[in-house]
Amino acid sequence: MKLTLRLGKRLNRSWQVDAMLMLLLGVFGAFMAIPLIYVINNAFKPLDELFIFPPKLFVRNPTFENFGDLLQVMKGSWVPFSRYIFNTFFITAAGTAGHILLASAAAYPLAKHKFRGHKVLFTIIVLSLMFSPHVTAIPNYMIMSSIGWIDSYKALIIPAFAFPLGLYLMKQFMEQIPDALLEAAKIDGASEYRIFWQIVMPLVKPAWLTLLILMMQMLWGADGGSFIYSEQLKTMHFAMGQIIQGGIARAGAGAAVAVVVMIVPIVTFLLSQSSVIQTMASSGMKD
Amino acid sequence: MRFRKLSLEQKNRYYGIYFILPWLIGFLFLFLVPLIASFRYSLSNLQVTNEGFTLNHIGWSNYREALLSHESYLRTLTGSLLNIGVNTPLIVIFSLFFAVLLNQKFRGRILARAIFFLPVILASGIIASIESGDLMQSVVSNASETTGGGLAIMDNLELTVMLVESGMSVTFVEYLTGAVSRIYEIISQSGVQILIFLAGLQSISPSLYEAAKIEGSTGYEAFWKITFPMISPLILTNLVYTIIDSFIRDETSRMIVDTAFQSFDFGLSAAMAWMYFAVIAIVLWVTTAIVSRKVFYQD
Repeated sequence: MKLTLRLGKRLNRSWQVDAMLMLLLGVFGAFMAIPLIYVINNAFKPLDELFIFPPKLFVRNPTFENFGDLLQVMKGSWVPFSRYIFNTFFITAAGTAGHILLASAAAYPLAKHKFRGHKVLFTIIVLSLMFSPHVTAIPNYMIMSSIGWIDSYKALIIPAFAFPLGLYLMKQFMEQIPDALLEAAKIDGASEYRIFWQIVMPLVKPAWLTLLILMMQMLWGADGGSFIYSEQLKTMHFAMGQIIQGGIARAGAGAAVAVVVMIVPIVTFLLSQSSVIQTMASSGMKD
Repeated sequence: MRFRKLSLEQKNRYYGIYFILPWLIGFLFLFLVPLIASFRYSLSNLQVTNEGFTLNHIGWSNYREALLSHESYLRTLTGSLLNIGVNTPLIVIFSLFFAVLLNQKFRGRILARAIFFLPVILASGIIASIESGDLMQSVVSNASETTGGGLAIMDNLELTVMLVESGMSVTFVEYLTGAVSRIYEIISQSGVQILIFLAGLQSISPSLYEAAKIEGSTGYEAFWKITFPMISPLILTNLVYTIIDSFIRDETSRMIVDTAFQSFDFGLSAAMAWMYFAVIAIVLWVTTAIVSRKVFYQD
């Protein structure tokens, strides 16, 4: 007993071990951060530095030229650039919100109600998780076309609602909520809606914030190429892709694009992660 | 709405269906129907004509072709399987370890978390250009060469490429890249898993740790007796997620896509996809069967 205690103390408290773990975290963190540093530095490199071989990680003479170029290109676009930005924001917001709502609503009975057929349903969901989106690309297009959703926001937003990943995640998290908690609420006369909104959803807040990051990240990168043809409805990602495809002449603007496109997912991540921490205390249950 | 005359079980059932219905409708139309359609394609010879396409039923010959006469399908498939067998446990262990580290209180931990999630954000650029978007255009415009460009600069982010390019000695780099690319592969694929584990760690009630501390448990014991069992359902979740994720992004998937959109053999591609699907299903079924027995649910 004494031995384990000492061992535990060594593992737990000593600053050497803490320092080692932090070092490990730092080394791997640096490893992961290199691509980001590279991209950001690229955006500030003047044109001659961009083509140095072998490429340098850090910029020597930082300049805002690239962002200026990007603005210039954006101004010259056929449709006002703000329209692309609006499209992307709208699709991302609507798709993410709808997905979280529907997936949580569907996950709740699957995790906690155990109605007949829930096992079959869940198996289908897991199976469908496995299917690569490329495979269903053509049939998907046919369906969209036959219900006349091609060339509208709907073609991107509504399918996002029905992704199986969110449902799967939410179900796994909801399963961990003790039944006693829900029973207590039911005995006190809470309706199913109320249980769902006031007990289940707050308890799985870390889960749906995670889902928010994942979905947002996915929709943000959507370029809608196969479903959307009118220029006014195209997404920012698509427009940015066009800029990059300008080739060598646009290399500077392209480097700036990479940074601009990354900003929103990173900011969302930081925001949602910092609010996860605040919920920590309240998500603790007293059993 | 009231269900006065119904038993509790019936009530549960109706509420269950009621809550699940909106999602189910979307799922049936936008996911299941395409899935079934793709199965039909796999049994047919799909030919594009002026007025759309025609399907000729040819039975299982697409499957036979993929298995028996395709030059690399079987080899790629086994390669993918092996790769997943090695990577999946490593990814799950790695991400659990780092999730626990990142869940501790230290300065700048949100930033640290963001850094570990970066690969997912960075990858979306490449993936977005590969995924559905460009595919359909390439069919429509009959694959003009330019569409491949996408976010080409993102490709250069591959750390191994950078190492080779910055002029280290070749033998050293070759040895290093072998090891590094696997490590890098593993780290860059564990962003989502770390996030899922973090969410799981945050839903563990702090009072459990408090009680354990009062009883004199050590951090080591607390991990194995509290954290590990409490997080075990999510270990299963992450195993499933990792397997699926690596299946979707690996060589075989790329081959399936290329068969469909570069050689325009949709029937063969669908057949390959369905066999692949069957293999994943078996792998997943075995994994879940083994792991789920050890999973602990708090009731």
